[in-house]
Amino acid sequence: MQKVGIVGYYQVKLYSDANYGRYEMIFEASRGALDKAGLKKKDISTVISCTNDYYDGRTISNCFTVEVGGGYMADESKVEMDGAHAVLYGLMRVLSGNHNLAAIWGGSMASCYPYHTVRLYETDPTWERSLAYVNDVTSAGFQMRAYMEKYGVTAEEIAKVAVKNKKNAAKNPLALKEAQLPNITVKDVLDSGIYADPVTELMVAPPCDCVAALLLAPEKQALKITDKPVWITGVGYNQDPYYLGDRDLSGCKSMNLAGKMAYNAAGINDPSSEIDVAELFEANAHEELIFAEELGFAKKGKGIEINSAINGDLPINPSGGALGGNPPCATGLIRIIEAVKQLTGEAGDYQVKGAKRAVASGQVGMCAQNNIIYVLEAN
Amino acid sequence: MIFIIILIIIKNEIKMSEEKVIVANKGLVRADFAFWVGQYLDKFYDGLENKKIMGNKCPKCGDVFVPPRKICGKCNVVIPLDENWVDLPETGTLMNFTITPYRINDRTSRKAKDWTIGMIQIDGSNTSVVYRLLNMEPEDIKIGMKVKIEWNEKTKGDPSDIKGFLKV
Amino acid sequence: MGRQVAIASAGFSEHASKRSDVSMPELVSEAIEDCLKNAPGVEIGDIDAFVNGNMPAFEGSNIPELWMTDWMGARNKPLLRVTTGGTTGGTVAISGYYTVAAGLPGIDTVLAVAFEQQSQGDTSVGLASVAYGEISILNTLGIPYEQISRLLSAGAAIGVAAYQATTYMNKTKIKEEDLARVVVQNRRNAAKTWWAHLKMPNLTIEEVLDTPYVQYPLRYGMVCPASDGACAMLFTTEEKAKDICDIPVYVNGVASVANETAVLGYDGSGSCQIDPSMQLGAIRSAELTYSQAGISFPRKEIDYAEVYSPFPNQELMWVEKLGLFEEATAPEMYEAGVTAVNGELPVNCSGGVNATNAIGASAMERPAEAALQIMGKASNQVPKTVHTSIGSGWGGSLNLITLMAMSDQPRRKF
Ligand SMILES: [Zn+2]
Repeated sequence: MQKVGIVGYYQVKLYSDANYGRYEMIFEASRGALDKAGLKKKDISTVISCTNDYYDGRTISNCFTVEVGGGYMADESKVEMDGAHAVLYGLMRVLSGNHNLAAIWGGSMASCYPYHTVRLYETDPTWERSLAYVNDVTSAGFQMRAYMEKYGVTAEEIAKVAVKNKKNAAKNPLALKEAQLPNITVKDVLDSGIYADPVTELMVAPPCDCVAALLLAPEKQALKITDKPVWITGVGYNQDPYYLGDRDLSGCKSMNLAGKMAYNAAGINDPSSEIDVAELFEANAHEELIFAEELGFAKKGKGIEINSAINGDLPINPSGGALGGNPPCATGLIRIIEAVKQLTGEAGDYQVKGAKRAVASGQVGMCAQNNIIYVLEAN
Repeated sequence: MIFIIILIIIKNEIKMSEEKVIVANKGLVRADFAFWVGQYLDKFYDGLENKKIMGNKCPKCGDVFVPPRKICGKCNVVIPLDENWVDLPETGTLMNFTITPYRINDRTSRKAKDWTIGMIQIDGSNTSVVYRLLNMEPEDIKIGMKVKIEWNEKTKGDPSDIKGFLKV
Repeated sequence: MGRQVAIASAGFSEHASKRSDVSMPELVSEAIEDCLKNAPGVEIGDIDAFVNGNMPAFEGSNIPELWMTDWMGARNKPLLRVTTGGTTGGTVAISGYYTVAAGLPGIDTVLAVAFEQQSQGDTSVGLASVAYGEISILNTLGIPYEQISRLLSAGAAIGVAAYQATTYMNKTKIKEEDLARVVVQNRRNAAKTWWAHLKMPNLTIEEVLDTPYVQYPLRYGMVCPASDGACAMLFTTEEKAKDICDIPVYVNGVASVANETAVLGYDGSGSCQIDPSMQLGAIRSAELTYSQAGISFPRKEIDYAEVYSPFPNQELMWVEKLGLFEEATAPEMYEAGVTAVNGELPVNCSGGVNATNAIGASAMERPAEAALQIMGKASNQVPKTVHTSIGSGWGGSLNLITLMAMSDQPRRKF
């Protein structure tokens, strides 16, 4: 795979109830990315947006974002998954040779719609949906229990992931204020109330409002635009079967296969030593461990043994991850942006020293049914 | 032909400023949906109406599906509509469970008293169905335990015919 | 960068107003079965990646490809979902093209699937919510909701199309007969297409003009039906396509360009507001596509066109905007039979969207049929040899146009 450069990015701060109109937020993000790269709107040759008609409460919700997202008279399209999938489509368009600058933006305002109800529309309407026993809440509980039962991992150990991420989020000025908890303890997490036993409320990525944007350019153009491009050297994506009963929820086969595809493209043989930092979209604390294992950072069931603190051996989610705020359609895109910040040394208080190669992931569906993973490298 | 009707209400708020939230048409755009279930599920729901569980079997790998499906995803083969039907018992094994105060339906999501939801593998099948576990205290619940279907007294030929699962 | 991409096969489900015999995933699997049946030697397991899309609000299912994974054969395969409203099918086809063109390791053969089962939901409510946000803004400007609720029709497709039709008619000075003639040609063509919905082999202009108005100048008999259906296309590399089929169809150019959001814009500015038949997006899409495909004289070089026209005025408009005919001359061409099956430049021999409209699938059925005409496998095959063809899509709020140019020779410019 030929490498593609990330030449600009912008993320609006995460809010649980943003005092923004949707279009203002989109404009701030897409304009912000252009300004950071020192480019003009006319330089954009293709725009890929990521929104969801259900999240936005209107049909063809993308058709009103053409102007604010920089898509006027540009070759544009919309991906309806995670922001990280929109980056994939932008990447494909750049790799095809048809486009020289792809602008990608994604996001939604979870404060404007009933999040769990809307997630329920992902379920099979001919079988499971009318009773609503399968939803994003219960599936989180099933997934964590399956993982704990299979490998004998305790709730305390999983709570430690939440503690780490919430503390990291406190160092990230763009993280959700409610998720910035510098003094949180394992006990606080375990006592935060049942979400879907054994998952507690503080182990869950809180839905919030945000739009983020990213610019991609082919190698030659990227070097003209910036002297600090970050290269996408590998990408993998994969989808698991739908029904929870068809899957082994203690692991995540789609993440494993996506990881293999991305490592293969980037030429990575030993991920745990070759990767310096990971930004993973964990919808719940335990998913970070499952993903880390599937990506080869640790043996199955031993994810908790990784020293994943900011100054650890393999820092995971130094930005706070999705536990620091989960704006639907933007979360995976933000993970990529956070990984880029680590590689360009722009991460501030949560900078991982000497990070040269990172992975960033995005997901969509119950129990992370579809996963996408990027390998990013510093110039 | 059976279909399942689900009502969707899309909340459509537009934020103008901190003080003012405009709610379009008093907050609701209503759209009704009626989902065609297809002939496989149609047969399955006919069975439920008679308090009978039917699955179908992949001709290649032999996996049995509840509810029945047209295609085995593992083998990518079509399971013919007229063949490979299997009558299954009312009993099963608890594979996984969770306890949650959240009630999520098409109209709203809210919190109420905790309830227990289980993933149950019907005996003789290779996948799980997700239903409530009834009359069980959390400390009674063990993964791997045997459970059996509690039918609703009046069945309608839809997923609600199974009220939940009881400890055997 | 990039590589040549070819279409190796295309398939359809049967279309009808109510496909009540199948669930949504089963409908999709029908189209996939038909697509693979036309590509002997390719099995579902040979597909490396999938692209999928529909208009989710019409069926009350969000991201339904999660649910239909197994029915597509996509279990533990890479899958991407794209959707852009009416153009969804075109968008899915284009992303199928890009998935192959990108040359990601291990991804050579891609199945693109687009579908809609409109009988499950209320399409006009779905379409009304396209306009909804703007209506509540009018509301804040002091116009009571009761008085503007009528505008909902402006958000649904028929409202904007009628507005577009009158501006176009004013420009070209055509009569309703000219619109009816397009309808007659489409529905007679549909009668020869196995998967089409409204098949009317003996329809006459008089019969069309005999139906009542839905909204002037569009009559009931001119408006597309609402269908249930699915379409699938198989994209692969140049080398593999040669193994799979006798006549691979090369995708030489693609574009999807939007101009400003139309009709219900905030401030009444923009070309769409002034003249919704202007369609700068369509003109730009055509420019981009033809330059990639090395087409300098579309009128001469293109042998066959499938354009997305739920309403007859749009068919006339698109063939002009896409460079097939001079501005305001399309009605004459239809009258002269240029666009008929045995004409010089046949258009919509499948019957087009005007005869079959499963919205999410419609914009894919255009390039799919255009490709089959090159392969010589279309139901209503034109007698002349087709070397180069185009398939277009229309959507958004009047403003987004997808276009794909295909040929029997790999001619994509790099
Ligand atoms: Zn099988």
